[in-house]
Amino acid sequence: MRKDGSRLDVSITISPLRDLSGTVVGASAITRDISEQKRADEEIRKLNAGLEQRIGERTAALEASNQELEAFSYSVSHDLRAPLRAINGFVELVVQEHAAQLAPEGRRYLDRVAAGARQMGQLIDDLLAFSRLGRTPLEKRNVAAVEVVERALEQLRPLMEDRAVELTVGDLPMCTCSPSLLEQVFVNLIGNALKYSRGREPARIDVSARVDPVSNETVFAVRDNGVGFDMQYAEKLFGVFQRLHRAEDYEGTGVGLAIVQRIVHRHGGRVWAQAEPEKGATFCFTLGGTTEWLPAAA
Amino acid sequence: MAPSGSIELLLVEDNPDDVELTLHTFEDFKFTNRIHVARDGAEALDFIFCRGRYASRNIQDRPRVILLDIKLPKVDGLEVLRQLKADPAARLIPVVMLTSSQEERDVVESYRLGVNSYITKPVSFDQFVAAVRSLGMYWLLLNKHPSSHAA
Repeated sequence: MRKDGSRLDVSITISPLRDLSGTVVGASAITRDISEQKRADEEIRKLNAGLEQRIGERTAALEASNQELEAFSYSVSHDLRAPLRAINGFVELVVQEHAAQLAPEGRRYLDRVAAGARQMGQLIDDLLAFSRLGRTPLEKRNVAAVEVVERALEQLRPLMEDRAVELTVGDLPMCTCSPSLLEQVFVNLIGNALKYSRGREPARIDVSARVDPVSNETVFAVRDNGVGFDMQYAEKLFGVFQRLHRAEDYEGTGVGLAIVQRIVHRHGGRVWAQAEPEKGATFCFTLGGTTEWLPAAA
Repeated sequence: MAPSGSIELLLVEDNPDDVELTLHTFEDFKFTNRIHVARDGAEALDFIFCRGRYASRNIQDRPRVILLDIKLPKVDGLEVLRQLKADPAARLIPVVMLTSSQEERDVVESYRLGVNSYITKPVSFDQFVAAVRSLGMYWLLLNKHPSSHAA
């Protein structure tokens, strides 16, 4: 107790006092005022409790927000599709059943209406896929990247018919990832490579991987000899609905690369691109985590 | 809606555009003019169970197939499905979900309740026509169903 009567917390250290022969003859006590220290400890405890509560609140808010997004996406997909179906359907019926009463110009206008409706349908599907990416939990497995690429190529097979395409797949490692999401990445990147190299005879597409000497990460790359793009617009590449080419020249919704980026980021990786107009493009990505190389094929 | 005589197909659909496009396609393929349209889940149930405005219907006069949308006013498609499959007689009527929803949970729940088939309405009209034509061919012509006096 202090002289003024207030209580205080102390720590007392007692040490034995010995005489020259080593016998304990008494004790000395050192009393330290630890009120400040106790106050600091109490502050920290309160801060931690406050933080825990704030984290709990933020998590609940995020979950509520996620649920709203889910309801929103469901509504978008269902409610937007119905009027689209009506547009497509009735335009088609006009064309099929009243073609005789239509001048060629009228027929052309209707074709544009139908094309717009088709594009919108594709947009809705892509947006839905994009939004779903945020919701599904990421289930990673150890897989051989080359098998994932092969499955992606199966999906793209129809796009490679009737074309001169030289496709090479290099030595690829094992990696830890969600196989279905990685497949989506390759479908989008190789699909783009095919699309933008359409004028080339042959189109050359190369899928490879290497270890970056500085970061020790595995870097996957998809390279094509297509129309490329101007690097000054590279920042826009991965934005949703961003396109660097005209819609009449290359079809698409501008969501494909946004999907790639989202998947890669969810894996803890990075994605970037290098290109020159008319000289093709190379898209690279990492997947975070560790990778191991399969022994080279015998 | 339909002339007197048995109804072969019950279409449960609230969207007037989809009703018109579906009926038009059935006409094109000359399937049947004995189609009844219910515009919400409550009307569908009243029709099958001969209640309310359909109280004078013959309950043994069951359609050969029911095309059922999920998002419906008053009583939704899944609830209609549940009630149909819970009734020993109505259970015999094949039910085909014909809906915009591709949501996995709707598919799973429908099958859990005993739906006979689940078709997602395509946005493309060509595909829509092909789907409706396949449905008609299968459920009205190919598929055998119990005679209306069964159960």
